Amino acid sequence: MKRKSIFTALLTGVALLSLSSCNGMLDDIYDIPQESTPDGYGFLPSGDATASGKVCIDATDYKKWTYIDFRNKVCHTTEIGEDSTDAAPAEWDIAVHRYDTKTNGASVCETDENVLGKPLPAGAVFAEDVYTTDRIATDMSGMMDGNILYASSYYNEVLSRWLDVDTSNMPPAYTLSGRVYIVKLKDGRHIGLKLSDFMNPAGIKGHMTIDYYIYPQAEQGILIMNNP
Amino acid sequence: MQTILRKVFIALLVMTASAVSAQRTVNGTVTDGRGTPLIGASVSLKHRPHTGTTTDTKGHYTLVIPAGEDPTLQVSYIGYIPRTGKPSIKTNRLDLALNEDETGLQTVVITGTRTPKLLKDAPIVTKVISADRIKKTDATHIGELLQAEIPGIEFSYAMDQQVTLNMQGFGGNSVLFLQDGERIAGETLDNIDYNRLNMDNVERIEIVKGAASSLYGSNAVGGVVNVITRDATEPWTANLNARIGAHNNQRYGGSFSFKSGKFNSLTNIQHTHADAIDLGRDGDYSTVFGSKTWNIKERLTFNATDRLNFTGRAGYYFRERDKSADTRNRYRSFSGGIKGRYSFAGGKDDIEVAYSFDQYDKSDLITSSRNDIRDYSNVQNSLRALYNHKTGRKNVLTVGGDYMRDYLMSYQFENNGSKRQYTCDAFAQADLHVTDKLSAIAGLRYDYYSEARANNLSSKLGMMYKVGNCSLRGSYSGGFRAPTLKEMYMSFDMASIFMIYGNENLKPERSHNFSLLAEYIKGRCSVTVTGYYNKVDNRITTAWNKALNGMQYVNMAPLKISGFDVNAQVKYPCGFGASASYAYTHEHIKAGEPLTSSTRPHTATARIEYDRQWKSYGFCITLSGRFLSGVTTDEYTSVSSYEETSRQRYPGYAMWKLSLAQRIAKGVNITLAADNLLNYRPSYYYNNSPSTTGTTLAAGISVDIDKIFK
Repeated sequence: MKRKSIFTALLTGVALLSLSSCNGMLDDIYDIPQESTPDGYGFLPSGDATASGKVCIDATDYKKWTYIDFRNKVCHTTEIGEDSTDAAPAEWDIAVHRYDTKTNGASVCETDENVLGKPLPAGAVFAEDVYTTDRIATDMSGMMDGNILYASSYYNEVLSRWLDVDTSNMPPAYTLSGRVYIVKLKDGRHIGLKLSDFMNPAGIKGHMTIDYYIYPQAEQGILIMNNP
Repeated sequence: MQTILRKVFIALLVMTASAVSAQRTVNGTVTDGRGTPLIGASVSLKHRPHTGTTTDTKGHYTLVIPAGEDPTLQVSYIGYIPRTGKPSIKTNRLDLALNEDETGLQTVVITGTRTPKLLKDAPIVTKVISADRIKKTDATHIGELLQAEIPGIEFSYAMDQQVTLNMQGFGGNSVLFLQDGERIAGETLDNIDYNRLNMDNVERIEIVKGAASSLYGSNAVGGVVNVITRDATEPWTANLNARIGAHNNQRYGGSFSFKSGKFNSLTNIQHTHADAIDLGRDGDYSTVFGSKTWNIKERLTFNATDRLNFTGRAGYYFRERDKSADTRNRYRSFSGGIKGRYSFAGGKDDIEVAYSFDQYDKSDLITSSRNDIRDYSNVQNSLRALYNHKTGRKNVLTVGGDYMRDYLMSYQFENNGSKRQYTCDAFAQADLHVTDKLSAIAGLRYDYYSEARANNLSSKLGMMYKVGNCSLRGSYSGGFRAPTLKEMYMSFDMASIFMIYGNENLKPERSHNFSLLAEYIKGRCSVTVTGYYNKVDNRITTAWNKALNGMQYVNMAPLKISGFDVNAQVKYPCGFGASASYAYTHEHIKAGEPLTSSTRPHTATARIEYDRQWKSYGFCITLSGRFLSGVTTDEYTSVSSYEETSRQRYPGYAMWKLSLAQRIAKGVNITLAADNLLNYRPSYYYNNSPSTTGTTLAAGISVDIDKIFK
């Protein structure tokens, strides 16, 4: 009788345990992924909306440019491709395609700083965009066969250093530079940029969070004096 | 009334006294061949094995033999040949000296037949790595241990520095790894997480090469590796150990066990840490990711009666890999189970019923958001029944069945979805001791997989013939691997470069394994030669599908592998021992076809050791080496076309290790090791190159606290 009770208890325990754990246990120790940035895309509200803040963009699509206009605080997305009739907006400062960048006639320097808002060191070298035919990849599906499709476009090599993507091995390795880049726009404005993240909270790559700092006129004068 | 009570009391006293007087209390000592006491040797009644005790620090034991029991005692100790004897009727004393099992043939193995069997009688060829050997090898990882002990085994990296196994041409998904006979959930690039197999408290590792699906079902195509945990046999034991090596490689472990009344328990905690290694040279990888692990295990056994016992177990495992500054890969497992075993018919029959749960999760810790996001979870719930019936002298009939629910949620499924599959099987095996010289084994197993709609019948036939100092073994065994949920339902975007699709119409892999073994043992020397041939049909792999414009799992042309192993070893009482093993592996490729095999054809291991023990100090110095030949292979230049190949040569290499294990006073062991003595460093780090930066040093200490206090 005693043995029968032990077996009954054992079988009941086994049945309960197996039913409660069919699809696993301790789900609560994990975080639930969010498919977008915490506060949506575009310019995020900040205390000092005119001088500094964050821009979040969805750059997951290889066939899109996202144009950022720091004066009007707007972002605009266009399709890339022969069939596309999309044109760049009338006003924009920089544009982002995946992790690649281009500027609207500006030049960019890389600083040693990792905090925005610091003066530019003397002797900094600014680099303008270059025209490329092999940097803006629009179709990676032939990569393993050496057949990546590219769009011809201007490209800023210095600003694009904000994220290093090493594709020599699979899966690619991503490394943020963590540095501040100064963009000297053609109208004389200076903007400090730092790529603070390239993933959304769910870990999906291509969701870019860009911190920016627009230099006040007085500081811009100093910058211009230091770097004529 | 008082008179009646007095009479009853007196009657009880008389009965008790007569029962006590019928009992015998016997004692004695157990020593080794040199008269050194053996501590913790097991002493039990031969015909009632649950009535027993263990020797104390002086090798002494005392055992009460119940009235009416045969007083024949069985004495055993790991690494020594068991002995039986009857205590003197006059003195009630039995002193026994055990001889060391120089060849290891007295080891009890279970993997080849699923019933305990002496290695010398096992008709299925089984390689055993003992606890003592594990200690002397100073291995921190099962891969390191297997490579040091067995030629033909290579652990290397696959994509993304995921560890991958090649065992004489078979990959990780064709070799079944078991922990105390239980399957292990989860995989990455077709390999289980080998770090889960913590080497603390391992009594032995059994390796059966060749197919074994007639007993173990799917995945047992190229072999079975079973890691077996020791039993708690002493009143209590406690061990603390630590090991520090190059690249801030640290390992800390603690174990506690007790045996009290009907309960015995074994608890283990292990933590490891390794810094990232900058290899400083070009290669398929240039930095080895840093990592840390936690491994916690508990096993509790309740011996309800001499014939009935229950074992419960639980485990937690955590590994974190520093993949990049922004992401850390995390791997967790939660496991548990309960097993009941009942023996009857005088120990001739036993039945075992077990439930097992194993969950293996993968998640990424996003360092910027601190979000820990799970993207993979494999949950296996299994029920198993096993019945053994012994007849005649050593004949065993084994019948069993399993039922498993396999759940998989994966980032490789569409929308991180999940799939589930139910599997069941039934098997029977007859292990026949035909004569003293001839034994035979035959087995059959039926497996059913619900999602794959796969039915499979696996069979096995083996024979062993002993003549003089030789034994000959020959066997045929069938292997089987059902398509996994991943292989059937994958829909994975590979970094926007190409898609990998599953295939619901995959057929199971089926293999045929033929092997012949000759073993010669004389005195302290043994030589073993094994030849084998494997043919695998319908093997599952990925190939470019033009219609889908992506990779897809498909059944491929047969794989044919043949080869042979030679092993020789010698061990003398003076403490000198040596062994050498060589394995040749040949993958058959039709003339004119590309040489796509990347299995190294020639591999070897060698070891020389010298072991001495004085009263309170002993040491064992071991020089071990492994040699892997280079391999030339043809690799397709394109993933979407199989027309052009380029020839690639992967260089061979040799690694030597010198270790000194010292036994100081009671229970203190200090190990010093120098690995890669010849300072080998690859000029280019291929995925199958050793991730070494040259000679490294390590030091470890292990303290058996119980031995200090006993």
